[in-house]
Amino acid sequence: MRPEALQYVIVTMVMKSAVEDDDAGWGLGIPEKMKNNANWVDITHEFKGACKELNLGELLHDKLFGLFEAMSAIEMMDPKMDAGMIGNQVNRKVLNFEQAIKEGAIKVKDLSLPELIGIIDTCFCCLITWLEGHSLAQTVFTCLYVHNPDLIEEPALKAFALGILKVCDIAREKVNKAAVFEEEDFQAMTYGFKMANNVTDLRVTGMLKDVEDELQRKVKSTRSRQGEQRNPEVELEHQQCLALFNRIKFTRLLLTALITFTKKETSSVGEAQKLVAQAADLLSAIHSSIQHGIQSQNDTTKGDHPIMMGFEPLVNQRLLPPTFPRYAKIIKREDMVAYFGKLIERIKTVCDVINTTNLHGILDFFCEFSEQSPCVLSRSLLQTTFLIDNKKVFGTHLMQDMIKDALRYFVSPPVLSYKCCLFNNHQAKDYIDSFVTRCSRPFCSLIQIHGHNRARQRDKLGHILEEFATLQDEAEKVDAALHSLLMKLEPQRQHLACLGTWILYHNLRIMIQYLLSGFELELYSMHEYYYIYWYLSEFLYAWLMSTLSRADSSQMAEERILEEQLKGRSSKKTKKKKKVRPLSKEITMSQAYQNMCAGMYKTMVALDMDGKVRKPQFELDSEQVRYEHRFAPFNSVVTPPPVHYIQFKEMSDLKKYNPPPGSADLYLAASKHFQQAKLILENVPSPDPEVNRILKVAKPNIVVMKLLAGGHKKETKVLPEFDFSAHKYFPVVKII
Amino acid sequence: MATMIEENGPSTHEQSDVSSSSQARQKLEGLLNKNMRIRMTDGRTLVGLFLCTDRDCNVILGSAQEFLKSTDTFSQGEPRVLGLAMIPGHHVVSIEVEADSLEDAQGFGAHH
Repeated sequence: MRPEALQYVIVTMVMKSAVEDDDAGWGLGIPEKMKNNANWVDITHEFKGACKELNLGELLHDKLFGLFEAMSAIEMMDPKMDAGMIGNQVNRKVLNFEQAIKEGAIKVKDLSLPELIGIIDTCFCCLITWLEGHSLAQTVFTCLYVHNPDLIEEPALKAFALGILKVCDIAREKVNKAAVFEEEDFQAMTYGFKMANNVTDLRVTGMLKDVEDELQRKVKSTRSRQGEQRNPEVELEHQQCLALFNRIKFTRLLLTALITFTKKETSSVGEAQKLVAQAADLLSAIHSSIQHGIQSQNDTTKGDHPIMMGFEPLVNQRLLPPTFPRYAKIIKREDMVAYFGKLIERIKTVCDVINTTNLHGILDFFCEFSEQSPCVLSRSLLQTTFLIDNKKVFGTHLMQDMIKDALRYFVSPPVLSYKCCLFNNHQAKDYIDSFVTRCSRPFCSLIQIHGHNRARQRDKLGHILEEFATLQDEAEKVDAALHSLLMKLEPQRQHLACLGTWILYHNLRIMIQYLLSGFELELYSMHEYYYIYWYLSEFLYAWLMSTLSRADSSQMAEERILEEQLKGRSSKKTKKKKKVRPLSKEITMSQAYQNMCAGMYKTMVALDMDGKVRKPQFELDSEQVRYEHRFAPFNSVVTPPPVHYIQFKEMSDLKKYNPPPGSADLYLAASKHFQQAKLILENVPSPDPEVNRILKVAKPNIVVMKLLAGGHKKETKVLPEFDFSAHKYFPVVKII
Repeated sequence: MATMIEENGPSTHEQSDVSSSSQARQKLEGLLNKNMRIRMTDGRTLVGLFLCTDRDCNVILGSAQEFLKSTDTFSQGEPRVLGLAMIPGHHVVSIEVEADSLEDAQGFGAHH
C-alpha cells in the first residue's frame, strides 16, 4: 500500500468512520481493556510501509534520542535479555500460593515426612543460592509456603517457613547494615514480601523448639529396643523423624546464632560461635538423610525448571526487574550441606576477631579473611562485629583509643607517652585528639574496604589513597606543631615525623596492595610485569622498609628515655636483655617481598632481551599510556611522590651500567634475589602459611634462573609460562 | 558511458523515491514520543513511547510496560515496567497508536 493510502486510512479512522479496508489489519487491533479507555488505532500496515522507505542503517528518532540511548534498550524476545518471554514458553499453569491451595496442587496439612524433608532441603538450597547473589524472588520465594505461612496448617512446616523467613530477614539486615556488597554479591530486594515481621524472633524460635520436642518424642518412641524384632517400617519412620528433627534443629540454631549476632554485648559473639558449632554437628546427619526427601518430578532435560510440590520457579517472574534475566540455578542438595559447613567455618572465624585488640592486628585479620574470598554474609557479619552501630569497636572501645594504641605500638610518639610532658599539656592534647578524630573515618573506611569482594577492593583502595594523602599532610603539620611545643618544654626530646611515619606506612601498604591485587585479578599482561615489579621492589618496598625502620628507631628512642628515667628513680640495674622488636617480623617479610619483586623484575627484563616476552603491536596506545594507567591512583599521593614513566625509564636504564648487563647477568641476579628471599624466609621463627607459599615460588625460581643464566633453551621460541598457583602475587617461571 | 548511466539512470528514479521517502519520514516523525501499543509474536503487548525505528521496523519504546496475553490467568492486567525496550521488526505483530495522537500528528495525515 502506498503511503498516501495509509494517510487516507488514518484520517478516516480519526474521524471514526467505517472503513472497509481489510489489509490494514483492523481486526487485530481495537483493544480489550488493556490500559485505559484510550481509543487505540491500528497502524501496523502503514507503519511498516513507512519504515520500508527508510534507508538501510538509517534510524528515525527524536533529536533527544540517539544511538547512545538506543544502546541501553533491552531487546525483546532475546532470551538473554527478556525475562518476560520465559514464562510464556512453559506449557503449564503458573499458580500462586492461594490458587495452588484452591486447586489442590499443594498440601497445607498432613504432609508426609519425605515431603517435609524434601521441601526443607529445597528451601535450604534456595537460601544458599540467594546468599550467593541471586534475587529472593528467584530463590527462597519460589517456595510458595513462605509467601504466607499463616495458611500452613502443618506445624513443622509452618515453624520452618517462619524460621527461614527470619533467617533471610536477619541476614538481609546484616548485609545491608555492613554495606560491603555490590550488585554482583547480593540482592537485597524483598519485592514486597512479608518477612514474618508480624511474629517476634522469640516466638519463631519457640515454635521451632516445640516442633523439635515433638519430633524428639517420636524419634524416641520409634527407637529400636533391645531384643525387639525390628519392623522395617518403624525403622524407616524412625530415620525420617530423625532427619526432620535434625533439619528443624539446624534451622533453629542458625536462626538463634544470627539473632545473637544482633545483640550489642561482645559476649554474644562467643555465644553465636557456640551455636553455629552445634549447628555444624548436625550437618553430617543431614547429609546422610538427604535421600529420605522427595525429589522434583518433572523432566528437566527439556529446559523446564525442576518442579517440586510447594515450589514454582516462575511464580515471581513478573516481579523481576527489566534488567537482563539472571537464571538462578538452585544449587544441588548434595552441595548444600558442604556449603553450610563452609559458611559455619567462616562464621566461626569471624567470631575470632574479638580476640584481636590492636588496630593493626584487626586490619591484618580483615586482610587475611578477605584472602579466602568469603561470602557476603560472613563478610558482613565481620563488619558488624567490628563496629557495632558504627560507633564503638566490638561495642566497647572508641575508635580514637584504638588509633592511639596503634600509634603507641607503631612509633611510640612522645605525645602519647605517659612520661612525656606533652601528655598532660592541653594544647598538645588538643592537637593529638583532633588528629586522631580526623583519622577515625578514613581508617573505618579502610577496614570496610577489606570487607568488599576482591575485585571491588582494588578499585576502592585506589580511591581511598586521596583521603590518606590529606591525612598525611595533616599528620606532618601536627608533628611540626608538637615538635615546636616539645622543644620549649623538653629540649632533649624530639617529635619529628611520628604521626607522619604512621600514616605513610598505611599509605604504602595500600599502594602495595593495590599493585599486587592486579596479579591476583589477572589484570596485567606479561609485558607489563616488569614495570609493576620494578615499582614494587625499587620503590614501594624500599619506602616501606625505610618507614618501618624509622618507626623502629623512634620506638627505641622512646624506650631509651623511659629506661633513663627509670634508672634515675631506682638505682637497680636494669637487665640488658635483647627484646624482640615489635616490627621485626614485618621488616623481615618486607625484605623477602622486595627480593621476590626484584627477582621477578630482573627475570622479566632478561626474558625480554631474549625475545621471550610477547609484546603487543601498540597502535592506539603505547607502553607509556599503559604505565600511566596502571599507576594513575598514585598521582593523588604526595609522599611517596609518583614515579612518572620518563623517570622510570631513566631509573631503570641498563645503559648506565658499564658494561651494560646481558640477559645471563640478569638471570643470575634474579636467581640471587630469589636465593636471598629464601634465606630470609627460612630464618623466620614459626613460619606461617604465607612464608611457605613464597618459599614454594622462590625455590624453583632459583633453579630456573640458574639454568637460564647458563644458556638453557636460549634458542627456544616458546614463551615461558607464569604459574601463579603457588602464590597469588609471584609466579613460578616455567620454561618449556 | 558508465558514468552517464549512473548520473542519469538513477536520478530520475530517485526523484520520486526522495519525495515518498521524505513523506514516510515525516509521518513517522509525527508519531515520535506518542504512546504506542505493540503486540509481539509471543502474544505479549508492550505500551510505551515511540522513540525510534529503522528500515526493518525495529521499534524502540520508552517507559515501556509489558502486558501478558489476555488468556493468561495469573497476574493478568498487572503491567510490568520494562523501561527502554527494543522490539525486533520480525516480532512485531501489530502496532497501534492512540487516536488523539494522530490528530496531533499533523504530518501524518495532512499532506495528502
